[in-house]
Amino acid sequence: MVRSEKIKIETIDLHVWYRDLHVLKGVNMQIPEKRVTAIIGPSGCGKTTLLKSLNRMVELVEDSKVKGQVLLDGVNIYDDSIDLTELRKRVGMVFQKPNPLPKSIYENIAYGPRIHGINDKKELDKIVEKCLKEAGLWDEVKDRLNDSAFNLSIGQQQRLCIARTLAVNPEVLLMDEPCSALDPRSTMKVEELIEKLRGTYTIVIVTHNMQQAQRISDYTAFIYYGKIVEFGPTEDIFLNPKEKLTRDYIKGKFG
Amino acid sequence: MRKLKEYLMITLVSVQGLLVISVAVLLPAMIFWIGSPSLSLKLFTSSVFEGGLFECIMGTIWMLLGTIAISGPIGVLAAIYLVEYAPRSSKIVRVVDQSINNLAGVPSIVIGLFGYTFFSYHLKLGISLLSGWLTLSLMTLPIIIRGSEEALRMIPYSFREAAIGLGATKWEAVRDNVLPVAAPGIATSIILAVARIAGEVAAILFTACVLTMRGLPDSILEPVMTLSYYLFVMLVTSPKFSISKAFATATVLLLVVIFLVVVATAIRTYYRRIWKW
Ligand SMILES: Nc1ncnc2c1ncn2[C@@H]1O[C@H](COP(=O)(O)OP(=O)(O)O)[C@@H](O)[C@H]1O
Ligand SMILES: [Mg+2]
Repeated sequence: MVRSEKIKIETIDLHVWYRDLHVLKGVNMQIPEKRVTAIIGPSGCGKTTLLKSLNRMVELVEDSKVKGQVLLDGVNIYDDSIDLTELRKRVGMVFQKPNPLPKSIYENIAYGPRIHGINDKKELDKIVEKCLKEAGLWDEVKDRLNDSAFNLSIGQQQRLCIARTLAVNPEVLLMDEPCSALDPRSTMKVEELIEKLRGTYTIVIVTHNMQQAQRISDYTAFIYYGKIVEFGPTEDIFLNPKEKLTRDYIKGKFG
Repeated sequence: MRKLKEYLMITLVSVQGLLVISVAVLLPAMIFWIGSPSLSLKLFTSSVFEGGLFECIMGTIWMLLGTIAISGPIGVLAAIYLVEYAPRSSKIVRVVDQSINNLAGVPSIVIGLFGYTFFSYHLKLGISLLSGWLTLSLMTLPIIIRGSEEALRMIPYSFREAAIGLGATKWEAVRDNVLPVAAPGIATSIILAVARIAGEVAAILFTACVLTMRGLPDSILEPVMTLSYYLFVMLVTSPKFSISKAFATATVLLLVVIFLVVVATAIRTYYRRIWKW
């Protein structure tokens, strides 16, 4: 499927249970490095769970169980020797609902670097400015960096959350329907932002929006009740899907 | 017929409501009414041996501060454990959880009896300020734990998730993003717990106070006098106790409690307005 690409993340027979609920049922997937990979599928089919199993956030759910492997640069992140702090620094996550920390705009960005040991004020200033610029938020907030992050609009909050994730220098960005709570204008801004980040980060984005998947992604995976039905270059998936299920889904027959 | 029934119900409920309100308002009003004429600066500053309340006021303050110092940290840590760490499905956790409710329901005289046998007698702490602190802590703990738990549960899960997603450990996430926001709620629950035991007699009757009049304790292993206990002693022991003195004492006690409740309410309303998410 993705032979010519360097693989950043590979899942091997990945299963996830929530108590008795078998959510992921043997996911095998290869995510190419520095490309945008979209994950589409009906709600409740396990998209969020799949994302969260890529940085082990899934383990925060009580009674969750994971089986199988997730290789990040060839190393299984479910090995006991893996440092979770380091893993989540390398694999950052942006959530469906913007979730700023109860701090100022500045501190929201500085928090990640701080917990990873950067305390120098000058250096933090630099990181904050760089990340806010990267997220296209600098001009909108530079005069009120000490305001509460909750005073921003929802769209700005989501871009702040993306900037915050960038502040720890991740290699992979997991985005769980980052635009589903946003209005069309903010959605466009986030898409422009993803466009800017393309090529620098490995991006995995869950989206409900077929047009969005086509606009922004290089590869698309269609997941249906815990299994990857089809995975390939985005054009192939949308223009000539091999599976009938995929065809029906992208035509909007269900979902 | 139905109309009549409804009319009756409304009347009944209104009468009940008025009754409760009038008791809540009239009772303190009456205490103030009778007690306030004998209030004076001298009452606060002069010793009980000269007809003042100085030792009792200081005793009450010490009693409350010590109880906070013991039950505050333990209660808050317990609440943090229960909300943030305890596995919900664990049997032990459920037993602990239920025991906290049970502890809250134990009559204070029984707590006092336990405190006397355990702290004063078995641990040989005697009838002392320290025994009193520990005994009263048994009463404040459930209130502080339940209140702090509520304050912690009000903090959106997304704060923890966001921080952990950036690489914070569970504790860092809680320390940096949950506790600062929950702090006012936690503080409120501690103050209310203290207000609840400010007038307590039964629990300190056998553990911290003795019948004879005494000055301030020299150490935490000595008995103490409190406003509530002094009031109790006046009522039960002296046949010629002065009504005005008793009501003056009650007024001071009431002022202490009202002060605490006002502070707690002020903290709560102030921070409710600041935090919006
Ligand atoms: N914390 C949880 N505890 C129990 N079940 C969950 C939890 N989160 C999700 N689920 C269930 O797992 C399934 C997959 O959920 P999710 O991964 O969120 O799907 P999607 O993101 O595709 O909508 C759903 O049936 C959902 O109800
Ligand atoms: Mg989801």
